[in-house]
Amino acid sequence: MISFASFPVSLQNETQDLTRHHPNVEDDIDMDEGFEEGIHRLTSPGEPLTSSQAFMRGHGTYIDREEVISSVAGTIERVNKLISVRAVRSKYNPEVGDLVVGRIMEVQPRRWKVDANSRQDAVLMLSSVNLPGGVQRRKLESDELQMRTFFEEGDLLVAEVQAFFADGAMSLHTRSLRYGKLRNGQLLTVPSALIRRLKSHFLSLPCGVDLILGLNGYIWVSKHVKQSEQEGEEAFDAEAVYSNKNDDIDDATRLAISRVSNIIRVLAAHFIPLTDTLLLDAYEWAVEQEGDVKDLLQADIGDAMIATITARD
Amino acid sequence: MAAPSTSKAEKAYIQASLQASPPLRADGRTLLDFRTILLETGVAPLANGSARLNIGKATQEGGGGTEVLAATKLEVEDVETGDGVDGGRLVCSVTCSPSAYPHMSSIALDELQYDLTTILNQTLSHPSLHPKNLSILPGKKSWLLSLDLVVLADAGNVFDALFMAARAALWDTKVPRTRAIQYQTRRSGYASKNTDAMEVEGESNITSGFDTRDMARAAADFELPDYWDEGEVLDGRDRWPVCVTLNLLPPVHFLDATLPEEASTTIKLLLAFSFPSNTQSSLQAMRLTGSGEVVLAQMKLLMADGERYAREVFHALELKLRDEDIRRNVKARDKFTVR
Repeated sequence: MISFASFPVSLQNETQDLTRHHPNVEDDIDMDEGFEEGIHRLTSPGEPLTSSQAFMRGHGTYIDREEVISSVAGTIERVNKLISVRAVRSKYNPEVGDLVVGRIMEVQPRRWKVDANSRQDAVLMLSSVNLPGGVQRRKLESDELQMRTFFEEGDLLVAEVQAFFADGAMSLHTRSLRYGKLRNGQLLTVPSALIRRLKSHFLSLPCGVDLILGLNGYIWVSKHVKQSEQEGEEAFDAEAVYSNKNDDIDDATRLAISRVSNIIRVLAAHFIPLTDTLLLDAYEWAVEQEGDVKDLLQADIGDAMIATITARD
Repeated sequence: MAAPSTSKAEKAYIQASLQASPPLRADGRTLLDFRTILLETGVAPLANGSARLNIGKATQEGGGGTEVLAATKLEVEDVETGDGVDGGRLVCSVTCSPSAYPHMSSIALDELQYDLTTILNQTLSHPSLHPKNLSILPGKKSWLLSLDLVVLADAGNVFDALFMAARAALWDTKVPRTRAIQYQTRRSGYASKNTDAMEVEGESNITSGFDTRDMARAAADFELPDYWDEGEVLDGRDRWPVCVTLNLLPPVHFLDATLPEEASTTIKLLLAFSFPSNTQSSLQAMRLTGSGEVVLAQMKLLMADGERYAREVFHALELKLRDEDIRRNVKARDKFTVR
């Protein structure tokens, strides 16, 4: 029931001895190779990338002694003469059209502030949500007065990045029946780098679990809702869309939701990008093992799962 | 107002899962399961005792989990001037890193720190737990034992983590050995021989001696003898209490709640138990936080259950602490042979 363990031993000292040099010792880095556009090379903080006379420094770099030096660990990207490094672990960098899962932080005049794991809070305007009584209609003063009946603080929602404001904050919209408030499940957070851009970010696993992979690293794991119940353009039911009540969920589905969540946690801990096939393989493996759901979080079982499913590819 | 962290639908989902039969939690644990706890003692080289504790860290990942750092430091206090208390005293303080509570305002953070400090200080500095070897010179000098805890990250169940870390740090604490010394004039010796010339000779013969032969009588100061280890262990290392937090969601209760689970239960019952010997136990502290009420009959059942859980936690922690002691002795010996 309760178990104690030691902190994992880091091999820091050994690796440092191997790679540390005096700053004056120049490594034989072939400066101009490896910068072809489209080819990503990994770099680590403090590594000199190129000469600052030939290139311009972008994000994730700085200039010292006429050299462009990486300030983060990540992949080098070059656009013409601009060298930048995209960090492996960073806040989510939004792009227009991305699907994100967010949480309402604040209700403001005619807008909501949404936490979307980005540097700034995202903004959801009242004009970019579906209002009750008709798909497209002008917002009224009465809508402004009852904004909390649509979304209130703490609510989770799935939305799309619509545009950016001048200060770089993203503007969201939920003007589709697939978007909106989230119910019947639980939220998981993984590093945003692990979510790739997929054809569809709404996954439906055969075990009766729906997944929404937000590109910002928030993942919503919920009970499967039939397509027919989801849509119905004419009969847009504000009660159902903005409801806070969960449907009845049976124990098997709850168990499946927990299992899928744990699988995603293990995959994220091993820093493996999520795909639907990988998730399915892992789920099958987990069911085959007939273990408890919580066993997946043990280090050895997690490692065994990763070893099996990555070997299949 | 602190930013909300869970929506109504999430809360309802968690509550329904907990009350289902069999109950199920977000990560598949049963109601009484703890997450994996990582513990290391002796992490702060300049402290007299220290420990780092993490509840629920992901196995491979760098972050995650509730992380607490605890360290003790001994200070000499003068009892005569009124600073210290005869027999020494223990003072706890808890600091919360703002990065552990990014959405909290600084005022709310101060309040939280104050609350945590109060609970820890009142429990641990209680006379029934007072270590006996905190006195240096009776009536003159004593040790002040400051126990400082820092909450580096909060992923739920911060009270249990704080108490476990405090226990580990206190277990690890070494009190330096002291020897009382006395500055003595030769006056008394001459006085017995030569009473007539006492005034004259007494004045001229005052030489401060450095004599430890008669120290028990009127010790004036103390010295720290040079010794191979850092001192003797703090007295009463088996007595320090552990805390279990029972999160109540009638009719069930569960242990080691995560943040969303904490947000969806209203009442928390903190029970701090100490187990001075194998058979007996003593309830050192009890708090009921949150809104809602518990009837007395139910409270008695909960306390009986709580004692059972606390005993389990206590034994697991003690086993781990003994392991740590062995590990560090081996490490120290290895270091010595390398040198």
